[in-house]
Amino acid sequence: MTIGIVGGGGDGVIVLGSLLQRLTASQGYFSQMPRYYGPQIRGGASAIKLSLDAECLSLPEDSADIIVCFNWGKYQELANELSLGADTLLLYDSEPPREINLPGKSFLVGFSKKSQKVTGSTLNKNIVALGLLIRILALPEDKVNKTIEESEELVLLRKNMPAIEAGKHLFYEFPFPEPRLSPPRDYFPKVILHGNTAIARAAVRVSCQAFFGYPITPAAEIMQEMQEELSRRGGIFIQAEDEIASTGMSIGASLVGVESMTATSGPGLDLMTEMIGLASAAEIPMVIVDVQRCGPSTGIPSRSEQSDLNHAIYGGHGDAPRVVIAPCDIEGCYRLTIESINIAQYFQTPVILLSDQWLGQTLVATNSEFLKKDYPRVKIKKAAKEDFEHYRRYRLTEDFLSPMAVVGDEGLVYQTSGLTHNEAGAPASDFETHQKLHEKRWKKLLPLRQRDELVKILGEQKQRTGIITWGSSAQIVLEIVQDVGLQQQVKVCVPELLHPLPHSVESFLGSLDKLLVIEMSYSGQFYRYLRSQVDLPEKTEVYCRAGGRPFTKKELTGPIMEIVK
Amino acid sequence: MITSNYRTSLKPVWCSGCGNFSLLTALTKRVLPGLGIPRHQALMVSGIGCSSRMPAYIDTYGINSLHGRAIVIAQGAKLAKPALTVIAIGGDGDFFSIGAGHLPHAVRKNIDITCIMVNNFVYALTKGQTSPTTPHLERGEGPFLSWQFYPPVDPMLDMISYSVSTRASFIAQGIATDPPHLAWLIEEGIKHRGFSFISVLTPCAIFDPLELFKTIKKKASYLTDGQPVELPDSSKEKPWNHDPGNIRLALRLAQSPVLEKPHLGVFFRGKEKSH
Repeated sequence: MTIGIVGGGGDGVIVLGSLLQRLTASQGYFSQMPRYYGPQIRGGASAIKLSLDAECLSLPEDSADIIVCFNWGKYQELANELSLGADTLLLYDSEPPREINLPGKSFLVGFSKKSQKVTGSTLNKNIVALGLLIRILALPEDKVNKTIEESEELVLLRKNMPAIEAGKHLFYEFPFPEPRLSPPRDYFPKVILHGNTAIARAAVRVSCQAFFGYPITPAAEIMQEMQEELSRRGGIFIQAEDEIASTGMSIGASLVGVESMTATSGPGLDLMTEMIGLASAAEIPMVIVDVQRCGPSTGIPSRSEQSDLNHAIYGGHGDAPRVVIAPCDIEGCYRLTIESINIAQYFQTPVILLSDQWLGQTLVATNSEFLKKDYPRVKIKKAAKEDFEHYRRYRLTEDFLSPMAVVGDEGLVYQTSGLTHNEAGAPASDFETHQKLHEKRWKKLLPLRQRDELVKILGEQKQRTGIITWGSSAQIVLEIVQDVGLQQQVKVCVPELLHPLPHSVESFLGSLDKLLVIEMSYSGQFYRYLRSQVDLPEKTEVYCRAGGRPFTKKELTGPIMEIVK
Repeated sequence: MITSNYRTSLKPVWCSGCGNFSLLTALTKRVLPGLGIPRHQALMVSGIGCSSRMPAYIDTYGINSLHGRAIVIAQGAKLAKPALTVIAIGGDGDFFSIGAGHLPHAVRKNIDITCIMVNNFVYALTKGQTSPTTPHLERGEGPFLSWQFYPPVDPMLDMISYSVSTRASFIAQGIATDPPHLAWLIEEGIKHRGFSFISVLTPCAIFDPLELFKTIKKKASYLTDGQPVELPDSSKEKPWNHDPGNIRLALRLAQSPVLEKPHLGVFFRGKEKSH
């Protein structure tokens, strides 16, 4: 079931959505709650969609089953995200403008009026709406009340019980249709977090002891969360003067053996580019989270896009190898943060974790197993006994990985440089050394291509029709394949490790007669990247467009049906 | 604990007569052994430029990093391992042009690193372009023009008055021709718990007109605690007794144009901060 809520600043849209998500999660419901908002700091259009599911995580439907509208002007700004279906139950606060075609089941509920009457202010209209929604969804009221009483997050709600009760009474004043929300599969309370939080929690859960950041939409929550977590744990947190500094400080921490992280979005990644080159050249572990937004330049800061792929893989001058990893869901945000830290440490390389605004800011209520699971940790290759004789920081080894001493290690003093350097780290300017060190830095990453578990492949192996997609776009693709029942007709590949490209992606693509590439980038960066790496089937279709609006099921069903024909 | 030899076996790329040799000597022969800093407990971070080649020649941990970014890497390292002695080294173009944006924030954060700016008044590695500290005089007006290119059109940025105005917690200026004094200043900077800024007036044997450093040397005067300060001939102020604990006096001192009265010594020593 999909519930949409829309209004302006001060209408409490996000608060209402979050409260409803918390109450349903406490009853065992899964949900995802993407946010839609504009450029205004305060008072702009604001909306959420909440997809409630009794069985598993699912995406909001294109048109919502229930829409709560506090403000028609703001609704019109976000009408594309919150389209009214013929069956939508519409609950609205005031008379709509003429041009709006109200669906059959529309009710002028008057949340503000009720709020004014009961609490003396219209400010509690969202809480009144919450009361009504509790009734419409037929949530078990004794359990809901218990949650409100016990939950720390709901302290404020406890003071607002009259508004909730008033909302519940509204249920009897209108002939609302019967509820359709099925009971949850289990009653285990679900944990609520978004991708940005998941990334921060994963980082501190393992050994990230330092965070250096600079505020940017839509990645700022990672920085805030890290500030909170690290100050509680006695870690290091710095809000730097810019992204050059945040990345530089991170490199400094790495040199002395402290694992650190930084997070940003497109414009910040631009500034970090020179440091990525240094980390690649001098083989310094580094993890950068890029929560992608619409580009180029300032673009649309609050909206998702998958257009930083080229920059992540190729950004910077010279041949500077790095690793690029992309989660496609909340579990991936968590697991792959740990993976990124592992890879950065083990391979002594910069790793870019490509998230996006959708993953970063969509609040998800789900089972908490992935937060508690044990994840293997990999550490940096330490200096061996023979290194103490005459330490060479970039000693050529069979696997091209050299033991890395950290500043402070006795007997292993070295000097390094972004200049081309020899095995000892001393500046060199001859072709042979330059070629050899390039070879070292590129070849050391090749074992990553064997990491089959970092590629999700779903469907029948023998199928010769396939779809490949990445990041948050994968969620909707997988859901459509399931909704339409195409599991037997098409297989889907979602690489989490994007660069270097795993062999299993190559063999997936090699097994196909027909391929559909789906991505949210105007120029088709993912398609072009794949094409540069492997031969694609002769019949390859691409569905790509700019970001700024999430993919809808209606939009993608056509191209997917077409490829399986 | 003291290792007397802090030099690596690499031969510096600098030209003969370069002021960088003095700083290298000051660091490896005096400062590091003098303070008894174990080699593995020190980190030299440099940017890009002639002076930034320094870490390769000092046998402590070191990184020759990116143009303008030595300070940020140094701060990250120091924060992550406070027991280390972390020194950032760079030139005037490095710290005051491409990396100038980082300086006031390093001052604000006051992380205990020592920032040594080797000021040779010119972009020497790229062969003689004007830097933010290249003296500004009209064409034909004075002897301080860069030899190869057009004279600077913008006034010079005075690093001492900049540091004083942002209130760096330790500010000093030394000269490459007096390594013992320079070494003393650096030792004081390292001992000072907080962000230390040390400017080193340095000749570039190739791209500075000879007249420039000759003038600086001739007009330089040493600051001594409690002794009257020397002021430029143009100054109408009455000399006062030097007190590095007084930021207002440091602000007045910083008004002296470097070509008229280069002061050598500790300009300001603020309250130390424990992190």
